[in-house]
Amino acid sequence: MELQLHVAPHEPEKASPKTEQLYDLLIIGGGPAGLTAAIYAGRARLKTLLLAGSFPGGQPVNTDLVENYLGFPDGVSGAELAQRFQRQAERFGAEVVPDEATEVDFSARPFTVRTPKAAYKAKTVLVATGAVPRRLGVPGENKFFGRGVSACATCDGFFYQGKKVVVVGGGDSAVDEAIFLTRFAREVTIIHRRDELRAAKIYQERAFANPKISVLWNSVVDEILGEQTVSGVRVHNVKTGESSIVETDGVFIYVGMVPETEMFVDQLELDEQGYVVSDRRQRTNVPGVFVAGDVQDPKYRQIVIAAGAGAIAALEAGHFLSEHSL
Amino acid sequence: MPLLNEEIVEQVKQELADLAGSVRLVMFTQDFECMYCAETRQMVEEVVELSDQLTAEIYDFVADKEKADELGVDKIPAIVVIGAEDYGVRLYGIPSGYEFTSLLHAIRSVAAGEPELSEEGVKALAELTEPVHMQVFVTPTCPYCPQAVVLAHQMAIASPLVRADMVEATEFPQLAIKYQVMGVPRTVINETTYVEGAAPESMVLEKLREALGKAEE
Repeated sequence: MELQLHVAPHEPEKASPKTEQLYDLLIIGGGPAGLTAAIYAGRARLKTLLLAGSFPGGQPVNTDLVENYLGFPDGVSGAELAQRFQRQAERFGAEVVPDEATEVDFSARPFTVRTPKAAYKAKTVLVATGAVPRRLGVPGENKFFGRGVSACATCDGFFYQGKKVVVVGGGDSAVDEAIFLTRFAREVTIIHRRDELRAAKIYQERAFANPKISVLWNSVVDEILGEQTVSGVRVHNVKTGESSIVETDGVFIYVGMVPETEMFVDQLELDEQGYVVSDRRQRTNVPGVFVAGDVQDPKYRQIVIAAGAGAIAALEAGHFLSEHSL
Repeated sequence: MPLLNEEIVEQVKQELADLAGSVRLVMFTQDFECMYCAETRQMVEEVVELSDQLTAEIYDFVADKEKADELGVDKIPAIVVIGAEDYGVRLYGIPSGYEFTSLLHAIRSVAAGEPELSEEGVKALAELTEPVHMQVFVTPTCPYCPQAVVLAHQMAIASPLVRADMVEATEFPQLAIKYQVMGVPRTVINETTYVEGAAPESMVLEKLREALGKAEE
């Protein structure tokens, strides 16, 4: 048998970056955007630090199988892809550390980025903090989170063997994870607020062909019900207004993402949804601060697009440094 | 066939280079090996080959019951990670997938004998007067889980009163049911108090105090 083994590098002493060092490029975020930028920056011989945060690899890590990233005709696990990205980035000299940026100061140059342990100075910064799953914000959700409500099917699918689950959402993640959950659950109901799915057709075909999956259309979850454990969800039909209860043992939530931009509120221009505003060269309103990945992308949210934007941002950071003789 | 492919071997060698001290991986299996017992034993045997500071001791859970009792090992496969002393660092079930990282981290930390915790955390744990048992339930496919396992192991290193177990939920479904594990990571403290998710150090410490408070009631 073949066992999957992950080795996440952790060497506090060795990995401890130098605060007195002035970095050419400091990347906040260790997902596909940040890591691709680190590869380009390393090859451009920029002195590069990447703060990967407490969750290195970014969102792909949560994906069982990535089938739409170039170069992997048979698909690749999201976790393996993320690891490969990181090794490639480190190979070209970028320092990748698991520290979490918590505060930035873009009002003075060089820029300052703080973590709970240290403050770093950099001539340019790439914001690639990504996005986190949106919650439903309904009664019962917090009470049962981790105990019947989940946002990670790969983590928690095992606990629903032979059980009934619902998946809330209609995008790629929702439908893909619904398919994944049929490995364990006896019945999977997708609850979607519209009358058609937004997911790629290939996911839809697979879902509709799967006898364990059904879809509850035009429906919104109002409450997660249960005493000790989840027993059901109360939904209402947006067309008829009718309310009903769907019995279930578990609720998996895939209703989109929220950009991670809290620390940039007074530092960068954000749009009304909180995404960082950028131009086609991945520049923000602060010269020298660039942005890439899901933190500036409410629409596509694809690994290949985040990676592409990361490459642009690193190239632009290089231009910026030479233009200003920094 | 080796369990660790060449690529993994190289990465593990890097991770285990310059260990601060020697570490024994004490592994329990049995004659008729349990699910993943053989793989866990093989993993231990292959990992210890990758550093001069590591040795493996393989015991039979039945024949060496005395040894198992001495170390408080009550199920298999089990790995007890022992450095200058037995800090209370345990892994039950195979540490595969993301949990392989937890094993490597445990080895590094036990070798150093120094917890990677905040000053406040170390101080709070030094003040413990009663035993604490932390069981961190995980699945191998959970990317957040090693954070919770590593934190619990650090707490075990910080205090002689803390014992911290990784428990691979899919191998011990009866325990998953007993502790109502429906999502991972889930940390059970002294049978009474639960922590959902990969919580920060301060929150876990608070739960730890809560667990000890419950015992006094």
